[in-house]
Amino acid sequence: MNGSSKFYRTKIPVVRMVVVMKNLFTIRAFHKSLISLSSSTRHFFCSSSSSASTFAIKNVTKSNFESALNDLRLYVKDADFVAVDLEMTGVTSAPWRESFELDRFDIQYLKVKDSAEKFAAVQFGVCPFRWEPHRQSFVAHPHNFYLFPRQEIKGDDTSYEFLCQTTSIDFLAKYQFDFNLCIREGVSYLSRSQEKEALGRLNARYKDRLLDSSSCWREGVDTKLVRVADILFSERLKNKIAEWHDGLLGDRNGASQTWKTSNDSKQQLKTIFFKMRPALDLTGFTSHQLRLIQLKELKDCLCKEAEMKIKAAIGFRHVIDLLSSEKKLIVGHNSFLDIAHIYRKFIGPLPSTAKEYVISIQKFFPYIVDTKVLLNASTVCQKISKKSSTSLSKAFALLCPQIASGVKTSGLADKRLVKVEVQVDNKRSLNWNSGAKHEAGYDAFMTGCVFAQACSHLGVDFTLNPSSVDLSHHEKLQEYINLLYLSWINGDIIDLKTGERKADSICSKGFKAHHSKILFSNTVLLWAFPAKLKASEIRECFCKVFGSSSITFIYHVDKTAVFIQFSKQELVSDFLVLKETLERSNDPISVLHPLSKVLQGGRTRAASYEVYKQICSSTISKVFFADQAEAVGIEWNAKLSKPVLEVERQVDFEASENQLYTDTRNETEIVSGIDPPLYMHSPTDELDSLCPAEAQMSK
Amino acid sequence: MLLQRRLLCTQVPKRSIHPTHHQNSNLNNKKWAIKQVTKSNFAETLEEIKTHIFNSDFIAVSLQKTGAFSSPWQKVLPFDTAEVAYLKAKYAAERFQVLQFAVCPFSVKSSKIIAHPYNFHLFPRDELKMGMPSYSFFCQSSYLTAMAQEGFDFNACIYDGISYLSRAQELAAKDRTGNPLPRSYMKPSQSPTVYSVADSMFVDRIKSRIKIWKRTCQDSEKKTEDDLISTLRKIVSGGEVFGSRPSLSIDICSERQVQLILETLQEFTDLVPLLVPAKKELQLMEEEHNMQVRGFREVVDLISTSQKPVVAHNAINEFAFIHSKFIAPLPSTVDEFRSSLCSVFSHIVDVNHLMREIGPLNKVNNLPAAILYLKRRFTRPLHMEIPQHIDGDEVRVHGRDVLRISELFAKLCLILRIVPESPEADYSTSSSTLECYANVFNPCFISSSDLLDDDVNISTEKTRRISVANLVFLWGFRGMMSARKLKSLLKGSHEVFSGEIDVRLADRNCAIVVFWAPGFAERFLKVMNSGGTNCEPIKDMISEGLRAACYRTYKRVCELSIWEPSLADALEKALEEASDLPEANSEEELPAICWDNDELTNLDDL
Repeated sequence: MNGSSKFYRTKIPVVRMVVVMKNLFTIRAFHKSLISLSSSTRHFFCSSSSSASTFAIKNVTKSNFESALNDLRLYVKDADFVAVDLEMTGVTSAPWRESFELDRFDIQYLKVKDSAEKFAAVQFGVCPFRWEPHRQSFVAHPHNFYLFPRQEIKGDDTSYEFLCQTTSIDFLAKYQFDFNLCIREGVSYLSRSQEKEALGRLNARYKDRLLDSSSCWREGVDTKLVRVADILFSERLKNKIAEWHDGLLGDRNGASQTWKTSNDSKQQLKTIFFKMRPALDLTGFTSHQLRLIQLKELKDCLCKEAEMKIKAAIGFRHVIDLLSSEKKLIVGHNSFLDIAHIYRKFIGPLPSTAKEYVISIQKFFPYIVDTKVLLNASTVCQKISKKSSTSLSKAFALLCPQIASGVKTSGLADKRLVKVEVQVDNKRSLNWNSGAKHEAGYDAFMTGCVFAQACSHLGVDFTLNPSSVDLSHHEKLQEYINLLYLSWINGDIIDLKTGERKADSICSKGFKAHHSKILFSNTVLLWAFPAKLKASEIRECFCKVFGSSSITFIYHVDKTAVFIQFSKQELVSDFLVLKETLERSNDPISVLHPLSKVLQGGRTRAASYEVYKQICSSTISKVFFADQAEAVGIEWNAKLSKPVLEVERQVDFEASENQLYTDTRNETEIVSGIDPPLYMHSPTDELDSLCPAEAQMSK
Repeated sequence: MLLQRRLLCTQVPKRSIHPTHHQNSNLNNKKWAIKQVTKSNFAETLEEIKTHIFNSDFIAVSLQKTGAFSSPWQKVLPFDTAEVAYLKAKYAAERFQVLQFAVCPFSVKSSKIIAHPYNFHLFPRDELKMGMPSYSFFCQSSYLTAMAQEGFDFNACIYDGISYLSRAQELAAKDRTGNPLPRSYMKPSQSPTVYSVADSMFVDRIKSRIKIWKRTCQDSEKKTEDDLISTLRKIVSGGEVFGSRPSLSIDICSERQVQLILETLQEFTDLVPLLVPAKKELQLMEEEHNMQVRGFREVVDLISTSQKPVVAHNAINEFAFIHSKFIAPLPSTVDEFRSSLCSVFSHIVDVNHLMREIGPLNKVNNLPAAILYLKRRFTRPLHMEIPQHIDGDEVRVHGRDVLRISELFAKLCLILRIVPESPEADYSTSSSTLECYANVFNPCFISSSDLLDDDVNISTEKTRRISVANLVFLWGFRGMMSARKLKSLLKGSHEVFSGEIDVRLADRNCAIVVFWAPGFAERFLKVMNSGGTNCEPIKDMISEGLRAACYRTYKRVCELSIWEPSLADALEKALEEASDLPEANSEEELPAICWDNDELTNLDDL
């Protein structure tokens, strides 16, 4: 660390510089043996202190990551499936970002995307399961990785920041999550795109430095001819460094001694350690000389060094790369959000649409199965779960009682129960129960157990095959593979192969086909209306204007916004136009108008459902929807000005006719001019001033 | 009051940190007697700190946050006007969270500082289950890592941190809860109560009393009575009128009896129980409730009511956080912010500003370095005494900045002769001297070396005032470029650059150019807008992507909260926005900034 800072501060008068030796394997080897030493002492300690079935889960942090990764490689290679689970610092960045029944398919994805982009994953549970035919049981290797998005490489201007949802942090605290361990010792990571970017930046920098120095040549000594003195200097230095290098390899003990040049007392080459390697500390050279040294001797070396740093920063992504390259069946529980986090953290930025996203995710994880889908979709499993809650711990207790509570069931029932043996380091147990609910490693283990048991209920017979079963291609499971709940509330299932919503065939069981009734084109979003106005009052106002049967329902987004669904599509535009008219005229009629109660205060905004999508896709997250819409509004003002102008013109025309209530036919004609149903009241004044001109032109 | 203070001073001299010349060694390896406060010892500490706040002359505060700025240009830069600096501070205060709030009431008496440092651990837990005080907050991993390296216990902070509500939030909460009675009373316990003999006697007695009262009520409604008789009847039956309804008061003396009566009342379908706490009880309950609701804000309120001068480092950032977390959401302009803040804290002193008075210190941004500098230059000894006693051997370093601020402030006061040196004199006489240093918001607190590129060769000694109209933002130059290179490139490109100019990088891809000759900036922008006609070098650079914008665009970026990671992208976006609008009030008078130093804006100017 010391060395690097010396290197970067080349502008101080006395220039010090560090020449790094390329590779010194002896030190590395020593370092590695240190790690294995420490891990073996831990084994010893654990085995002496733990009893048969309650040994601790394998917690992985910075210090034991290398060794754990090496072990995990073998486990995953042999595994039949790998269960995963994540703990995050939050789920929704604002109350209105929660999943609503009124969220269309594309909006559900946008909400998940927002969550995966803003929050951090702090714990990652990986649990490979392997069927052991001679034991007639599964062997599970639960791993609990602590993650922390530390910035390991420099040069990235954007800071590493993440959002914390206060209630989620409180929830983690309730289950004794160790924040200290996470922040101090958590494993960091670099996504594929981050790595690519960093390497790109590195290349650019070294190219740039070359250009930079060459341009300096041009400016300074107007030719590319190197002065004789320079050549002599660099040759002399090369010799010295070679000498130093040889001397160092010859005599290991002399690493820390000062090694002075004989003829010049000001210029010093001092052996120091730079990142566990012997290095030279050069003192007393001019910056021009340094540039020469750097160009001739260091460029490649430094570049390699930086590259190594980037490679080392990949960290936990090695686990994801492992899961991806082995193409194992990934098992999760209600895992759409988890998978989105995996994509965002370890692959790259999330695509803007669900379709692009699923196509991309399938490249990395071709087989994903979700136990929540399995439990709700298969009739067999539903019978067993007796339609009770399919939360992970409930399902686990119900399907795997022998593991969940350690109860030995009678012989007959026992036969149907899949045995799962847990192995942590060298200890094994058939009824292991760490009891740490909402710990990613344990949750992954539970998910895997539930999956194994559900497979057995579906008729997958593990015992038949002498070796392991190919679950990814098992006919009994094909129906469920690559289906995930996009939103549990709506019961919407997304098919990862197509990116489409799964047709109702298997998913709608247990759900009222309620959401099919939602007509998004009939829906209007209303926000920033007078505070404390209740949905029933709003309905009353609307019914007075558009008729008692005009409103299908009113749904609160939060206290500042509601969805209003009209019975007829044309009422949407009728309302928007009417609202505009009322706001533009100050005559007593508009004050007495039934809608004035809703429009009171002049801040009330309304828009079609498409605007809701725009608001959801923004990266901003204000707590209240009205504030959010206002903040996002800045962005769309420009885009929407055109349709707004058109409407304004029509409104002008209408206002001149002094009509507040026009018959429906007339209004449909008027509004047909606006084709995408993007429309909102724009508060800017200049639109008004432009309007008459527009209107005249049209006449 | 004075007596008491002295008493406190002499109490525990053993523990105090001694002379100034040992200060630095103390700073690194000795224990700091800073009381660490969490939920578990908050109530007792509140009483303690109350005394200290009212007995001390000054209160130093220092906040530890979960982050500060998301990219280099988003921190307060030397060329920021007060407005821009405030908008940046506002953005940070709204996003990040305060995890530690150090408060140190202190007095300066004849080269002695008597300090009472406390460090409060905060966590915005939703104690009332109403989504307050904070739905979510951002964390920067570098900040958390730095805190972890200091040994900060995040588990203790999250499990046991003190929550709070801002003044505005408390109002909103009151609006929603209404009845401040503890909820446990409202719902009779699920398990059937086991009656003792005394209990059943009590219940029987109450039952018959209620029945009699009910009967009389119903009777009296039927027939009209003589006033005297009805009054007598009321006295006998104990009936009263609550609002427009008849009511009966039952005096009780224990919680158990409350429970019993509530259960008894369930038999009467037409009666509603109403708990009226006794006066003393009511007061206690309210205090307890306030404590639960306000939490840490009680301390902020104490500081506010004490009217003592509050000393901070980088005041605009600290007070943006304090305002947004403990007072109300931040207003949209710096003027509103100032007036709102002034109504809560009458005197705010920024040690940065005081340091600048001494001249060369204006470059010292870091507290320990500033203390070291003062120690070398001004050798007058200054002792620090921390009278409070701390149990345990734990190293209590958290919140030590607040002690540094106190020390620095005391030293600066001595040097600037703000505080009288005789122990007899009171703070009040010195207040007028302090007055001129108070409430100065200095938007700039970073030294020039903090800028990305320190190659710039502008004289750092003298500072010059320049109108922001002479500043131009430049971006879209090829690759990474040093300010010096860019300057030489510009120099040769057009005659507007022939005059004196300064170039600095605001972040990696965006530079700021200062035209010292008035009018040249405008001329340059005109050349840029024309696409570089009549000027080949500029034309070439434009074709390579060079873009320019005036200071107003930069201000707009902050006003519209276009917080893109790169300033170039943000300016680009702001230009796009602006192109849709007519040039708004272009006649407005542009403020001036101090180039290479900072603009000072006095709170009292307004």
